[in-house]
Amino acid sequence: MTVTHRVPGRAARTGTPLTSGGAAARRPRRRWQPVLLFMVPSFLILGAFVIYPIIQSFIFSFQNVTIGGPTSWVGIDNYVTLFKDSQFWNALGITLEFTVASVAVLVVVGFILALLLQGESLANRIVRSIFFFPTIVSLVTIGLVWKFLLDPNIGFVGGLFDLLGIPPVSWLTSTSLALPTVIFVNIWKNLGFAMILLLAGLKGVPQERYEAARIDGARTLQLVRYITIPGVRPTLLFTTLILTIQTLQVFDLVFVMTDGGPIFSTDTLVNLIYRDAFTNYQTGYASAISFVLFVIIVVISALQLRFFRYNDVD
Amino acid sequence: MNKRKLVAAIAVVGAAALALTACSSGSSSTPSASKVTLTMWTGFTGGDRPGYAQIVKDFNASHPDIKVVQTVESWDTIQQKLPTAWLTGSGPDIAAPSSDPNVIANYVKTNSVLPIVTGSGASKVNSAQLAPAAVKELTYKGKLYAIPANFASLSLYYNKKMFAAAGIANPPKTVAEFEADAGKLTLNGGATQYGLSLADNQTIQMWPILQWLTGGDIVKSNGCSDLSSAASVAGLTTWANLVQNEHISPVGQTGAQADSLFAAGKAAMEMNGPWAAPTYKAANVDFGIATIPLAADGSKVTLGSIAPLAISAKTKYPKQAQEFLAYYTAKSTQEKFSLTTGFPPLRTDMTNDSALKSDPTVQIFTSQVGDAKLYLPQLTNATQVDANAYVPLIGKITRGTSVASATAAATSTINSLTGCK
Repeated sequence: MTVTHRVPGRAARTGTPLTSGGAAARRPRRRWQPVLLFMVPSFLILGAFVIYPIIQSFIFSFQNVTIGGPTSWVGIDNYVTLFKDSQFWNALGITLEFTVASVAVLVVVGFILALLLQGESLANRIVRSIFFFPTIVSLVTIGLVWKFLLDPNIGFVGGLFDLLGIPPVSWLTSTSLALPTVIFVNIWKNLGFAMILLLAGLKGVPQERYEAARIDGARTLQLVRYITIPGVRPTLLFTTLILTIQTLQVFDLVFVMTDGGPIFSTDTLVNLIYRDAFTNYQTGYASAISFVLFVIIVVISALQLRFFRYNDVD
Repeated sequence: MNKRKLVAAIAVVGAAALALTACSSGSSSTPSASKVTLTMWTGFTGGDRPGYAQIVKDFNASHPDIKVVQTVESWDTIQQKLPTAWLTGSGPDIAAPSSDPNVIANYVKTNSVLPIVTGSGASKVNSAQLAPAAVKELTYKGKLYAIPANFASLSLYYNKKMFAAAGIANPPKTVAEFEADAGKLTLNGGATQYGLSLADNQTIQMWPILQWLTGGDIVKSNGCSDLSSAASVAGLTTWANLVQNEHISPVGQTGAQADSLFAAGKAAMEMNGPWAAPTYKAANVDFGIATIPLAADGSKVTLGSIAPLAISAKTKYPKQAQEFLAYYTAKSTQEKFSLTTGFPPLRTDMTNDSALKSDPTVQIFTSQVGDAKLYLPQLTNATQVDANAYVPLIGKITRGTSVASATAAATSTINSLTGCK
């Protein structure tokens, strides 16, 4: 005879008969969930187009590879070569310079723009749209258009300078001006994006904090420093992180505007990877550079996360 | 529950089928009982594009059992896609892999291209009648692996109005006149007008011609750099000084920028190929074309350029692809191509062709084929030598670096790339 015991105050477990000794029967089987099967297509696509190429590229970095040709293992030779390669160090320096300058300006100016344009008036909305417009245009288009505009002989800017009696400036063919010019175009292109992200963060700061601070006599700059900035710190982190990762991989703009020149003064790491992989047919070496770039991005991202660390009480 | 499993399974299978369909890029040729379709990729996006399209159209009209479909994309795109496309067998049957003939070496190394069957006969390429320099450039281990899709020589385009305004009756005939005219035709330090539009990157190279005019060279036949030789240094110094001190040309132009400058009527001279003529005509430039001035020693020289056209090793129709290449190099095809594009014919047995002789543009470019030198011939890592040594060299000397030190650095780079000891 089976005796059912029920613990007072506790609902009996449905469908869980107790045995005569009081021990629970084995757990029933979970109802089968098809959700994992619905995720399989995404895993397949991710696997085929993201994970497999990453793994294959990592393997290539230890080989002397030409696509379609014989492959030979060279161990860490590619990595040893790249650390001795002056072109790699030049490209790394330029990439870091490009990133630091772009991200710093984008975050600061983007924040200022978001602060100034956060009102919902028609004028603010129009100005925000104007700033955001370059974000939706492709980098290649922007690069080509700016390259033409900045041509000192036949470009619009050159023509304007001519009208004003200013000598033409070789923006993209001067070794000292080419990098700042490409950085400027990159900032121009992405400013709207940074502004929109930070605007979203500003909207999330509770208004009561501002009211309370005003009651305590806080002025505008104090409100920004003690309320706004701490309030948008997660958004600042996200914006900085995204822009940093994106800018460290800059390629399209540089390729179209200068192709790394003049004399490698705008040669970024991805430009170098492209040249080694597709022009010099050194796929293994290019793969090694790409993995070094990957490690650099991971380290910088980790440092940023640490720098922006905050507690829930903030 | 069974119904849910069934729905989920159908979703997975459907998604997988979609993904596999997306992965497939389609076969390069469509087998058909009656007609063979050959696909061809080329990068001829310039003013000469109609010439290649006409060859394809005429071939298709005269070969009812073969249809060639040409896809034209930028050279960058082809260079990225072609190696893996040919490796996986999903690439075109025929392709011009690059505007640089040296890239064929990589495709030969990876067994991606078929040797061309040569000889006389309708379906063979008569390589004996093709320009010897072009055939040599595309021959590896005694086998011809591509035909030249074109053979261009550079000539001197000049703006007739600017010459008349400067009181110069004729285009320069010697290198000394060339240097002098470039200076005379530069007005207001280049702000108004440049004497010569020179490109030094992303271009069919012009600076080698300036070197050859003064006796220098870039790489010797043994693979060692010639840039530090006295003749090279002297020639480069002369032209670098003209650019820097007399501003005869902007610095750092790409090929496209140099062409645009001439087309915009802001430069009096430019060394360019036959593909540029339609562009300048459309821009209403009153231009003439002359042969490159004579070198300091009285010899004729210019730069020759060929783009290779090769057959995929994985084509399902090698015989038909071969037939197309043979048609491409036939006399009648080359005559029509030359008259359409201004390019000289590939064949050396057409110098007395009356139709070609009566076309002044074709005549100018054809007359220089025999004196044309290829840039970095038979150098398998020519693109690295160009990108890492020669282009930076010109960039430095036109921006103030001493020619001696710049050529020394370039020599060191070239010798390490070519293995010269």
